[in-house]
Formats: sequence, C-alpha cells, structure tokens
Amino acid sequence: MSLARFLLRRSLQGIFVIWGVVTVVFGLRFIAPGAPENVLLPPDVSEATRQQVAAELGLDQPLYLQYFDYIVGLPVGDMGTSLVTRTPASGRVLSTLPATLELAIAATVVAIVIAIPLGVISATRRHKPADYGATLFSLVGISTPNFWLGIMLVIIFSVQIGWFPSSRRPVGIGIDAILADLVALQLEAAASGLRDWLYYITLPAITLGTYFTALITRLTRNGMLEELGEEYVRAARAKGLPETLVRYKHALRNTLIPIITVLGLQLGTLIGGAVITERVFRWPGLGTLIINSIQARDWPVVQASIIIIGVGFVVLNILVDALYTYINPQVGEN
Amino acid sequence: MAKIGVVLILLIVIVAVFAPFLAPHDPTAQDLDVSQQPPVGFGSTSTEEVPVQENGSVVIEDGNIVTEERTVTENTSWSHALGTDGNGRDVLSRVIYGARTSMIVGIAGTLLAAVFGVVVGLTAGYYGGRVEDTLMRASDIMLAFPSLVLAIALVGVWGTAGIKIPDPLVVSGLSETIRSALGLAVGMPETITVPGTVIIVVALVNWVWFARVARGEALSLRGQEYVKAARAVGANNSYIIRKHVFPNAITPIMVLATIQVAAIILLESALSFLGFSGTNLSWGFDISQGRQFQSTSWWIATMPGLAIVLTVIGLNLVGDWLRDALDPDIGGEGGV
Amino acid sequence: MADPILDVRNLSTQFFTEEGQVNAVDSVSFTVEEGEVFGIVGESGSGKSVTALSLIDLVESPGDIVDGEIWYRNGELAEAVREDSPDAVDGTAVDLRQLSPSARRSLRGPSFSMIFQDPMSSLNPSLTVGEQIAEAVEVQRRASANPRSTRSRTQGYGLGSLLSGLVFDSREFVRSESRERAVELLDQVGIPDPEERATEYPHQFSGGMLQRAMIAQALAGEPDILIADEPTTALDVTIQAQILDQLAEIQAARGMTIVLITHNLGVIARMCDRVGVMYAGEFVEQGSLEAVFDRPTHPYTQGLLASSPTVDGAEGRLEPIEGNVPSLVDSEMPDRCYFADRCPKAMEECLDKPPELPVEDGHSAKCYLAEQEYDPETALPEGYFDE
Ligand SMILES: Nc1ncnc2c1ncn2[C@@H]1O[C@H](COP(=O)(O)OP(=O)(O)OP(=O)(O)O)[C@@H](O)[C@H]1O
Ligand code: SF4
Ligand SMILES: [Mg+2]
Repeated sequence: MSLARFLLRRSLQGIFVIWGVVTVVFGLRFIAPGAPENVLLPPDVSEATRQQVAAELGLDQPLYLQYFDYIVGLPVGDMGTSLVTRTPASGRVLSTLPATLELAIAATVVAIVIAIPLGVISATRRHKPADYGATLFSLVGISTPNFWLGIMLVIIFSVQIGWFPSSRRPVGIGIDAILADLVALQLEAAASGLRDWLYYITLPAITLGTYFTALITRLTRNGMLEELGEEYVRAARAKGLPETLVRYKHALRNTLIPIITVLGLQLGTLIGGAVITERVFRWPGLGTLIINSIQARDWPVVQASIIIIGVGFVVLNILVDALYTYINPQVGEN
Repeated sequence: MAKIGVVLILLIVIVAVFAPFLAPHDPTAQDLDVSQQPPVGFGSTSTEEVPVQENGSVVIEDGNIVTEERTVTENTSWSHALGTDGNGRDVLSRVIYGARTSMIVGIAGTLLAAVFGVVVGLTAGYYGGRVEDTLMRASDIMLAFPSLVLAIALVGVWGTAGIKIPDPLVVSGLSETIRSALGLAVGMPETITVPGTVIIVVALVNWVWFARVARGEALSLRGQEYVKAARAVGANNSYIIRKHVFPNAITPIMVLATIQVAAIILLESALSFLGFSGTNLSWGFDISQGRQFQSTSWWIATMPGLAIVLTVIGLNLVGDWLRDALDPDIGGEGGV
Repeated sequence: MADPILDVRNLSTQFFTEEGQVNAVDSVSFTVEEGEVFGIVGESGSGKSVTALSLIDLVESPGDIVDGEIWYRNGELAEAVREDSPDAVDGTAVDLRQLSPSARRSLRGPSFSMIFQDPMSSLNPSLTVGEQIAEAVEVQRRASANPRSTRSRTQGYGLGSLLSGLVFDSREFVRSESRERAVELLDQVGIPDPEERATEYPHQFSGGMLQRAMIAQALAGEPDILIADEPTTALDVTIQAQILDQLAEIQAARGMTIVLITHNLGVIARMCDRVGVMYAGEFVEQGSLEAVFDRPTHPYTQGLLASSPTVDGAEGRLEPIEGNVPSLVDSEMPDRCYFADRCPKAMEECLDKPPELPVEDGHSAKCYLAEQEYDPETALPEGYFDE
C-alpha cells in the first residue's frame, strides 16, 4: 500500500476520532446535573443574569442547533468565547500551547536520550550492578507520581541547594524569544536567553520526563534482551560484525520498532503529566489553563483545550504510524 | 521480587483496614501548638550546659557546679514520629488513613472499570462485526483523551461528592477498646468518606483497557473448537460467553487489573493533589497541602508521597510477576 | 598426511543452568584437514551445535568453554601472535583458547564463519539482504586495511551515526564497492537477478533463497573454515540437494574447509571426507567416511547406520535408536559408558567406567569393543536397565 493511501485512510479515521472527541466534549456539560448554563455560572447568580447569559451563549436554542453551530465553527477555529476574558477560546488555548510543547518536547528528548542507552546497557550487562541499578530506577520511576517528584526536586535542588529557581518562569523566557534573538543575530541575547530557559525548564522537564525515561528504559531493556537472543544476532556475530554494530544497528533497530507504537499510545499520559507538572511549577502552559478554567467554570476554554489535545494526539499517532511503516519493512508490504 | 511486592501490598491493605487501631492520633485532630513539628531524627539541635549528676545530686567542685555540654534535640517527639503538618495534625496518622482512600478508590474503581470493560469487550469480541467495530472506534476516541484531563473535566462538571459511611471498627467501639488497651488516645473519626464521584470517573476513564484485552481474548477464543461445539449444540450466546469465554479470559484480565489498581491509585492521588477529591484524607491532598510548606517543612509532602511510591511499586512488582508467570500479551500502562 | 588446519583437544563446554551443570561438550578431540568436509553427526541434543559454537567462540551465557585447546593453523596469525604470547603458538598453529576475546572475535569472518539451521530467523528482518551481506564485506575490508588494530573494525560506526542510521537509510555507512561485492556473492550462490534481490528484505525471500543468502553472507569475509550447522534441515528435499551442491561447488572452487553438522546420514555420505559421531556430548567414533560407514565399530554408529535404510538417498534421516536421549546434567551422568543403557552389546566391564577414546590416526571409537571382539556370551541380560 502506498504511503499516500495509508495517510489518507489514517486521516479519515483520525477525523472520525476527532468528531467523536468533539461530540463527547460537547455532551459533557449536558451530563452535569441542572441546566447546562449552571456549569458556566457561579451558583449564586440571579435568574435574570442566568437567562441573559444563556441567551448570549445560544443556550436557549435547540440542542441540535447548538451542536451544529459548534461543529461548523470548528474548522475555522471558532470554539466559542472564553467566559472569563471574553476573548476567543481557541486563542487562549493556542497562546499557552508553546510553553506546554516546550516542556513536553524537552521531557521527551531527555527521556529518549537517557533511556535508550540505559536500556541497552542494562540489557548487555545483564545481572551486573548497572542492570540492577537501571531496573530499580525504572521500577521506581514508573511508580512515582510526578507531582510529588516535582515537589521533591524543588525541595532538594531549589530550596536546599539553590541550583534552580522555585519561582515561576517570568514572561519573555522561551524558545520563541531565543529564536527571535537568533533571527535578529543577537547572539549574546540568545545565549543568555538559552541559559535562562534551561534554568527554568530543567526541573519541570525532569519531573515530566522521569516516568517516560523509566518506561522507555524498561521497554528497551526487555526488547534488547529478546532481540539479543535472536538467531540473527548470533549470525551477525558469526560473520564478524563488531559488537557495536550488532547491538546498535541490528538489535536496537528491531527493539525500537515496537517501542515507537507504545510511545504513540503514551502521548495521552504525556499530556496528562504535563498538566500536573505545570501545576507544580506554575508553568504558564495549557495544563495551568485547563485547571484554572475548570475552577473558573470557563467551559468553552476547557472544551477547546480538550479538542486541541485530541487533535494533537490523533495527528501525532498518524505520524507515529507512518514512521513505523517507514522503518518496518514488513508492514510496508501488505 | 514478587515477594517484596506481596509484602508491600499486604502491609498497605492491613494498614488501610485497621487504620483506626494503628493510627497514633485522630488524623483530623488539629493541635496548633505542635504544628510543623519535624519527624523524629530531623529536629533542630542545640547544645546546652547541663549539670553533671552523680547519684541523683549535682557535683560541686571548687565551689562551682560541674556542667557538661549536651546536644539536645528540640521539638520532635515519638508521639508524632513522622512529624506534624501545618495545622498540627499527625502526619503518620494521615498517611495511615490515606491508605484507606487509595485502596477504596483503587479497588472499587478497578472493579467498576473491569466489569464494564469486560462485558463490553467480551460481547464485542464474541459477536464481531458491527458491534466490534463500534467498540473499537469508541475505544479509539477514549484513547484520544488524556485520562487525567478527562478525569478533571468530569469531576469539574459533576463536583466532588463524597459519601460518608460509618467506620465499623469505630462505631462498634472496637477501636476504643483496643486503643485504650494500647494506651493510645481514643476518639477516632466515626465515618469513612468514600469519594464516589472520583471512583466513577476513574472507572469511566480506564474501562477501555479492559474492553480491549477482553475483546482480544474473546476474539481468539471465538474460533476455538469447544466454543464452536457449544454453539453447535445450541447453547445460547450469553451462556457461552459466561461459561466458556469468560473463564478463559480471566488470566489476562487479572494481570491487567493489578496494573490498573496502580494506575488508578496514581490517578486518584493526582486528582486529589489538584483539589478534585471528595475527601481530605488522601495522600494526594496531603501532598498539595505540603507543597505550601515546601520551603520550611519538607516532610509534610514527602511522607504521603513515599506511601504512594511504595504502594505502586508493590502493585507493579506483583503485576510484572503475574505477567511473566502467565504471559498474557496486554498493554495498558498508565501513569501520572 | 599434512598438518590439520584444526586440531581440537579435550574441548569441554558446559552450561550452568538451574537444573545444574550441563556437560554439553565433554572433552572432545578431533582434527580437521585443510580443504576437507568434516561431518559431525548425532541425534538431537548430543552437543553438535555447541561444539560448533565453541569453535567460533559464540557460546553464550549461561554456557562457557571450560577446558581444552583449539589449534588453528594459520602462518600469518602465528607470526602476529608469537611475540605477545609465545605459548599460544606451535609452529604455524595457534591455540585459539589462549587468545584474547577481541583477537578471537577478529577471526570471525576471515578465518571462521558459520551458517545456521533456520534461514528465516538468521537474517535481520528489518534490513535488506544486500545490506546485511555488504556490511559483512565492509567490516572485513576495514579490518584488513588496518590488520593490527581490532578497533578499526568499528571505524566510521560511531554511535551517533549508528543511531541516526536507525531512522535514516543506513546505506551510506557501507561503501559502494562492498555493495557490489554483495551482489557478486549473491550471484555466486546461485541467486537469480542478484541486483534486484539485494534490495529486498528477508521476508520477501523463499527459504531456499534465504539459505543461499546466508551462505553468501558467511562467505563475505572469505573464511578459511565454514561451519554449517544443519544448513538444509529446514528446507524441503529438492532444495536441500541444490543447496548442498552449491556448497560443494563453492568449497571446490575456494579450497575452503567445511565442518558440516547434520542429522542426516545421506548428507554425510554425499558431502564428507571424514566424519565424527557424537553421543551425549562426546565423540564416540571418528574416521574417514569409508571407515566409519563401512566398518562402524561403536554400537551407536552401527545402530545409526542400521536404522537408516538408504544411506545414499536424501531420506537417510536419523531414525531414533530405541531408548532415551541421555541427560547431560552433570549430577545425572553415570560413571559408565553413557550408551550402555541403550547398547545391545553392553557388557559387565562397560559398567565400571567410561571407555577411553583410543587416540590413534585414522579410525577410532570410544568403546571397549574397539580393542576386542564382541562375544555375545558376555552381554548383559536383556532388560538389565529396566528398573
Ligand atoms: N543455552 C543453553 N542453555 C542450557 N543448555 C543448553 C543451551 N544450549 C545447549 N544446551 C544443552 O547442550 C546440549 C547440546 O545441545 P546442542 O544444541 O549442541 O545439541 P545438537 O546436537 O545441536 O542438537 P540438535 O540436533 O537438536 O540441534 C543440550 O542437551 C542442551 O540441553
Ligand atoms: S563400551 Fe560397552 S556399552 Fe558402551 S558402546 Fe561399547 S559395548 Fe556398548
Ligand atoms: Mg543443533
């Protein structure tokens, strides 16, 4: 099957999934007890205000019309208006997205860079101290709630040792600012921006990345152990390949192919983890926005956030599948 | 390793069940005189001069009282072995009572998710066709929601209703008898708060893993000879599912359930940490309280977190062991 | 007779498992002449594969070569080694057991190579067949460009480029000459349309074609000695014959030495110059093909030959001899001839202690009957071992 057809089919499935997400999200506020607009309002509001708000939001219209309006608005990015700021909900979500992406990408990079070598070392030094260390680390890492880990890191590295800040990240530090400096050829500013960026992102990235580091370490170790026992590894050694090639070119390749799909499924966990990590570090991202919006009952923003996360999940999974097809010749065939 | 896991789980279960006997204090009792008291061994120390005593009387030499320097540990006591929180509540007692919430939500949430997921999954896998397609698409949609985000959204909508049920060990007076025999203060909380919304929400968020595993099993069993034979002699479908398909699917479902208890305990603690919980006696809630004291009183957040880690490690060890021993091919990891 | 290319003395390889120590290869001695096909035959579990893996130093944990010498005749190697470890050299022969692991590793490819039973699982499913042969060529090319240093074999294979090779096409790490050589090798082993096929993946090959590709891969380093562990067992009969012919052809053309392991007496008869028979981790009989096949001395060999009706045909597979395959767990091994409980000719003296393998040129057997005539009078009563 050609890649184009594959992508087309997966995209259609993806659109279906997104439609499902939208529908569930739209339905959520109707499963709340009481009138839907109650969710959007503080409990002690007067009946007149209630009706006014309901009319303003189109809540007095029949359900199918509201649903239809919502759906047709989506493709043009209309996801309703934030009840708190009275600005478009999608705009609020998108403005917090970069901070969350920075965090998620930093954590993923940390996880991959540490976990894959660690898993390989653990598998190739089986039953040696390094292996026990790595196994213990992955057990504890998988079992540790990241919000608690974040607090522990703050207590140790910010409060006690003072290496990292315990204050929230000021506005103006971020990849976008660094890139802007680079484009303007302000190298010094870019360098100091990078330093600040690292200063603020290190602990959150470790907090979010630990679970994934532990998970990938474990998957890599188990996969490598399995692959290294395969006949083709023995054959590769028999033909004289050095151990580096045997491990990293042959065994690791086959180990990573299934890991890629697992990671695709774990994206939801990554986003959930980001939400809570942001809460711990008061990181100005999507997670903080979602929680604040739920507490403020700013339902349109919550809806928009969930839908945008869902879209991201679907798109990334299609990409992961495409990558999987690309590096696994046996799938590409049929 | 699995033995360590079993020991850990047994320990936590015993602690949870017998919390009213074991907790040194009422976990909700505030005592502002001793707030933020550090755990034993971590008190601040000072040195002071104390008179040397011999046979109960001070020693006088050259007209002066002989003294010696002694290191004195201040403000810790075995009565609050793990210290106290910002309101002077005993951290150890709160950790012990927190085990109850984790266990109740972990077990009840998993059971609920398992029952729902297994029924749906077995039906879909057994009948195949439309039913199965619908389920698989539904589970794709479920997977596109980050479970934590969906959970807070649901709790946000429904609110955090907690159901208070009387604590049998306390109401029966058993706790009072045992505690006074042990020389502990009496008067433990008379009710257990079950965070009902949270249980329903965690089950709603996690049932899909059970559905997928059950479907996979049903799918592979559908083609088996004995299932075909049962169908051929005219057994009805729900009978076949109950008598033949379910018993064979039980192994992977058990393994998944073990892992899911761990995932749900983590999810519950995250929800309570974020303030979406029906009870204030929860490890996650205590961690969020402790965060406010992170620069002065590290133990308030640390201790309940250690309890979570040990519990989840125990469950993961047992889950891994079951998975290795029974070798079902399942996914369904989850973390926070 | 010229000096053998391989002279194995008292080789013992054991596995340390939960059931205890497994004597998979137990003090085995044999010689292989240069340019011959040496056959090893024996029933399943007798230690054939472990012997082969010991030769090429690929015994994996929990196994280990615990004792013995492996003298390999190679003038160049002897010169190179003489300086550092004179004990390991005797004339032009080198005792491989005394070399460092990295030195032994560097012999894989140019000196020893091995093909395995199951071609389906012996090639990496996610790399093209051509790539896998070319990388073997490339590694040898790099090694011979800088023969003294084993490190040079990893030149250009830095971890970074390897990791990026996981995502991007890894072709660039292998030079185009190696690629061309790979196609040549595929051609030599009789794969039609080799250029096209080099770009295909193992799952696109049939079993017979894959085994040919495996042979091409093993030939990439121009080995002196090719170890073939049941190279045709997984294939159907007509393909078996083709592959064997191909092997014979290549062997004749290159003057290569082959150690051929098989269950199949027909294969032995067709291919081998000399043969060793393995039972319970030991060589119980060895000698020239004629000697062993025409005048088998050991009752086990006699049983094997008797139970396979057509020695010449490809159907000459080993029929199991009555009785159980013996346990190789050390604590369960009796202190007598290991074959005694299945031996129709077992005598009192066979129970005292295991017979020694008389070390003599030519034909030898590890049996008391090698030195005395069989007298039915002395045989143990039937049912002696049925408790
Ligand atoms: N990895 C291992 N771990 C433990 N024991 C092993 C291992 N590999 C081989 N053995 C033991 O060594 C003995 C010899 O095995 P080997 O594979 O050499 O037999 P074989 O003669 O090649 O048999 P086959 O004809 O079935 O290939 C067996 O009894 C087996 O129990
Ligand atoms: S030594 Fe005895 S038992 Fe062993 S094979 Fe020879 S005759 Fe048989
Ligand atoms: Mg074998």
